[in-house]
Amino acid sequence: MAILTILEFPDPRLRKAASPVTRVDDTVRRLVDDMLETMYAAPGVGLAANQVNVQRRVVVIDVSDTRNQPWVFINPEIEILDDSRREYDEGCLSVPGFYEKVDRPEHIRVRALDRDGQPFVIAPQDLMAVCIQHEVDHLNGKLFVDYLSPLKRQRIRMKLAKLQHATA
Amino acid sequence: MTDAPDPRAPDLRTAAARAIAAVAQRGQSLGTALPAQASAVAARDRPLLHELCYGTLRWHPRLAAIIARLMAKPLKERDADLHALIACALYQLEHTRVPPHAAIHAAVAACAALGKPWAKGLVNALLRRFQRERAPLDIALATDTSYRTAHPPWLAEAFRHDWPEQAEALMAANNDRAPMTLRVNRARGTRTAYLEQLAAAGIPAAPTAHSPDGIRLATPRAVSELPGFDAGLVSVQDEAAQLCAPLLAPRPGQRVLDACCAPGGKTGHLLELEPGIGELVAIDSDAERLQRVAENLARLGVHARLLAADAGATADWWDGAPFDRILLDAPCSATGVLRRHPDIKLLRRADDIVTLAATQARLLAGLWETLAPGGLLLYATCSVLRAENDAVVTAFAATRSDVQIRPLPHHPGLATTAGRQWLPAATGNDGFYYALLERL
Repeated sequence: MAILTILEFPDPRLRKAASPVTRVDDTVRRLVDDMLETMYAAPGVGLAANQVNVQRRVVVIDVSDTRNQPWVFINPEIEILDDSRREYDEGCLSVPGFYEKVDRPEHIRVRALDRDGQPFVIAPQDLMAVCIQHEVDHLNGKLFVDYLSPLKRQRIRMKLAKLQHATA
Repeated sequence: MTDAPDPRAPDLRTAAARAIAAVAQRGQSLGTALPAQASAVAARDRPLLHELCYGTLRWHPRLAAIIARLMAKPLKERDADLHALIACALYQLEHTRVPPHAAIHAAVAACAALGKPWAKGLVNALLRRFQRERAPLDIALATDTSYRTAHPPWLAEAFRHDWPEQAEALMAANNDRAPMTLRVNRARGTRTAYLEQLAAAGIPAAPTAHSPDGIRLATPRAVSELPGFDAGLVSVQDEAAQLCAPLLAPRPGQRVLDACCAPGGKTGHLLELEPGIGELVAIDSDAERLQRVAENLARLGVHARLLAADAGATADWWDGAPFDRILLDAPCSATGVLRRHPDIKLLRRADDIVTLAATQARLLAGLWETLAPGGLLLYATCSVLRAENDAVVTAFAATRSDVQIRPLPHHPGLATTAGRQWLPAATGNDGFYYALLERL
């Protein structure tokens, strides 16, 4: 296993859309393991493959307090179940240190393949529902800062640039 | 994605950062700074707050060297709290079992509580970079004294000058956690009996090698857990301090002076050793601290005459009746007890040693006049610097013809010109200096 480098906003590679996984093989499983290790070390509750510069539709998530309930989503598809929405303070490993309220559908259903390539369906609640939407956005080249006002996004961009410079 | 900060977590790290900054920037002692912050956090978090503050200060010179290396430009003076917060997080990453993600997350979250949300990214980036670059950092800082020894360079230099062969072990011992040692009250029972009481209470402990009254606990405890503590069966006192009273060996009917007595540990020991002491006068310059001496003596069931005075200004307090025994546990740099008071690493300056040595010389010369011919004075400090120990005693002895330096052949520690220097040991005693002088 290895800890991978997480790309940081505004890296243009975060804007590339990921392509579907055609076969869940050992290469994909190795990627999953590395992504889990990277997510736990960071620490984060979710990680999408494009954040570590792999343009495949792979997401790992663990929202448990005990940090021992990993979920793997390969080729995830989200279905919005109703009009209800909720706001949540989101942060992102690719936008380190910033937390902003993002408004998203509350009730969703997710179809995906697990690490063995078996299809499964879940209707996630609470943080899990927020997190999977956040990660699927990544797979589509979208970041949570895209939901913010241009002014806020620009401020975050400037501050991060300064930090990336200061610690480079 | 990352989850929003835990609203409860910041309090503890914020409080720790504020306490550490109060020491590092404003020169407060941790004894003052910590209680001020502890009151703000939940009771269940206080043990961790205590551990974080002590640990961060214990390693502060090393942690500050890491921060200086990782930052392109230093933080501003007004951001001393951020520096403290980062140091505290580095301490957790380097020296504790706090999960790294928790340490970093909590530090980032604490930025907002400190009113500096702009620093979240900076703190996060720096800590993560530290995690990534530990090995190269270690190489880059290999010759940096602060990093390598976790002592301020002037102090490391002073140790190496005074104790060239022991300096590295001495500094390693200073960076350890201090053990908790008890002194059994002889007037109330034996050491063997109390060891049995501890065993029955499930508290692992062992007798000390040099003090006949000492018991070292395997792990520190709250005194409230100790059997018979309130009834005065035992006191908390390091083994090194326990050797003072026996050196003076007071006898029945003698007049004894404890010149800088607070918090009264040795005062009590003198009276436990010889309940027949004619009169014990205990002086301290701080009236508030004398209150603690009174409480300690009351717990042990012994009595002394307490005076708030400057012991060296004998005209202010001395009645003219000479003392047969004087204990001068002189105010000092406390460089022998850095592991108990790690804030001293930051608070003490090289200049202080000169000032302290002058005070020590003044106290010694002043008190000597109150010592009866044939009487004994024990000069002791919890310093390990020669300037405060041998240098003070030999300079004094050289000016007088009535000073006889008594050899201490059976005493632990390194023999020096005038006495014995016990250096702090990793799992044992504190650092302490003793010189026994007889007035001819």
